[in-house]
Amino acid sequence: MNALRVMAVFRRIIAQFRRDPRSLALLYIAPLAIIALLGWVLSSQQTTAVRVAVVNESAGPAGAVVATRLESALDGQPGIVLDRSVADDSTARQALKDKKLDLVVVLPPDFSAQSRTIDLLTLGLNPTGEASAIPAVQKAVLGAVFDAAGAALPTIEHSTVYGSPDATTLDSLAPVVVGFFLYFFVFILTGISFLRERIGGTLERLLATPVSRAEIVLGYSLGFGFFATVQVAIVLAFVLGRLDIPALGPVPAFAIGLGVKTVGNPLIAYLLVFVLGLGAVSLGIFLSTFARTELQILQFIPIVIVPQALLSGFFWPIDQLPNLLQPVARVLPVTYAIDGLRQVMIAGADLSSPQVLLDLGVLVGIAAVFMALAAATIRREVA
Amino acid sequence: MTLAPAPSAPPTAPTSPPPAVEAVALRKDFGPIHAIDGIDMALPPGRIYGLLGPNGSGKTTLIRLLTGLASATSGNAKVLSVAMPSRVNLAHIGYMTQSDGIYPELSVWENLSFFAALYGQTDKADLHRSLELVELDSRAGTPAMQLSGGMRRRLSLACALAHHPAVIFLDEPTVGVDPALRVQFWDHFHRLAADGATLLVSSHVMDEADRCDELLFIRDGHVLAQGTPAELRKRADTDNLEAAFLSFATQSATPSAAGSLAASSKEVAR
Repeated sequence: MNALRVMAVFRRIIAQFRRDPRSLALLYIAPLAIIALLGWVLSSQQTTAVRVAVVNESAGPAGAVVATRLESALDGQPGIVLDRSVADDSTARQALKDKKLDLVVVLPPDFSAQSRTIDLLTLGLNPTGEASAIPAVQKAVLGAVFDAAGAALPTIEHSTVYGSPDATTLDSLAPVVVGFFLYFFVFILTGISFLRERIGGTLERLLATPVSRAEIVLGYSLGFGFFATVQVAIVLAFVLGRLDIPALGPVPAFAIGLGVKTVGNPLIAYLLVFVLGLGAVSLGIFLSTFARTELQILQFIPIVIVPQALLSGFFWPIDQLPNLLQPVARVLPVTYAIDGLRQVMIAGADLSSPQVLLDLGVLVGIAAVFMALAAATIRREVA
Repeated sequence: MTLAPAPSAPPTAPTSPPPAVEAVALRKDFGPIHAIDGIDMALPPGRIYGLLGPNGSGKTTLIRLLTGLASATSGNAKVLSVAMPSRVNLAHIGYMTQSDGIYPELSVWENLSFFAALYGQTDKADLHRSLELVELDSRAGTPAMQLSGGMRRRLSLACALAHHPAVIFLDEPTVGVDPALRVQFWDHFHRLAADGATLLVSSHVMDEADRCDELLFIRDGHVLAQGTPAELRKRADTDNLEAAFLSFATQSATPSAAGSLAASSKEVAR
């Protein structure tokens, strides 16, 4: 191992990218744009009032009593607008179709003191959004029942071990996107850079010099590690920081940065992401062996990147995955990076936490395996 | 300037120096194809050797075996008496590939200093002299992608020579190079040989053959004949090197291979 040669490879990669501003923009501006958009969508979701009507189809006395109690319980509840103009089931359905109502509570014709089923009617076009209106109605129903029994509804207070109960989706997603974007961009850029060495004839020339394969992989890791470091620093600053710009003339007030609350040490978060990035560099070099064109590098995205996005705990906890997919998730590097980042940034764990050490250890192991694979396949000729 | 192992004894001395490039029963198969089919050679240092043969005759494969970039199926290759492949020995070897093998985003200077650094050559003044030799000193800051084809060839040559190698392999160095520049290239090659370097230059163009000290005619992975241009003409009893190549090829050809001979000699004559 010769430091002069490793540094020569490192400096060459820096020089190449300095002259390729578009790739630099991909590395630095694209993640910021995506995270800013994500933050914007998640943090300012419109919470519109749910428009509810109560329809009593039953002829019995019980129905009329319950309907009145429900209406008074729903009326004036925060987030709920009661519509008293709807009288029967068919008008209610039409009002749902016309988007004049979001949810209808129907007391069916056979509703009685014995058969106490209440129907909830929604449009069915957006199951998740419609379901979010149901808890408010359930609470009203529960309130009506307690009211009838002459008791007050107990209040429920939610607290959490880590973070706070009013943490948003954004707060738990932010640590994840930092790691995921780094993996994605570093993999794509290294894969394409190394493929160009193969097809441009420069690799042939490199191998005719005294540089060793390990020195090439190390030089590449340092070069892309440098760009990854800057990317992670920028993305972390954007995610964690928040700069409020006051309104000025016609420009409304706005904020730069997401201001996600974190209790962890950003340096440990950075360490996890850096080791993840080292693995991505070597994976890019390794997989470039199996591609002949730049387009074929992009064909690895569905194989390498998408499964990691779906299985690594980005959207769903690993424990909730189907049994067959859980072992797959446990060999993916991003899984360990995301777990480690959540431990550090949300739970405030540091290097004394066995969980963080395990994640870091697995990431180091995966990076070492990819580095060995990369070095072993460098000599493979372009077939 | 440190030129590594120069021939200490003149060529006429009774004890000749060890060969700079040596092959013993060298063989390379790609599946059923015998790309190099048993080549023996011993090339004394300080001369320019021309490796002549049609496309697909095995010139590039032979150079890749001698530089250790490809591994032989059987037999041995030695450069400066060291068995190849040897990563350490590559420090004394220069290799100009058939493709330019330079980084298009990097400037002329960045390309040259990068390859030189891999050989441990970081003497800036010396690198500037290397650029002057190929007349690219005024273009040092130009990105390689903005150079003309001939300039890229010159940069590629400078990158192969920056560390003053004792043995230099040049794979079709003059392809795509205009006649005036070609003359400069050959003058440069002769200066290097005069300083003690050994050059192996592959070509499929016969009119360059006369500029070499010694020729190796190669076809189908065999060396058909070896000697100075004058010797080869005399042995084939012709004034014309194309005719000489055809004559040697006919002598060695099996009846079944004779049909392809006319085509390959035309290729050589091109």
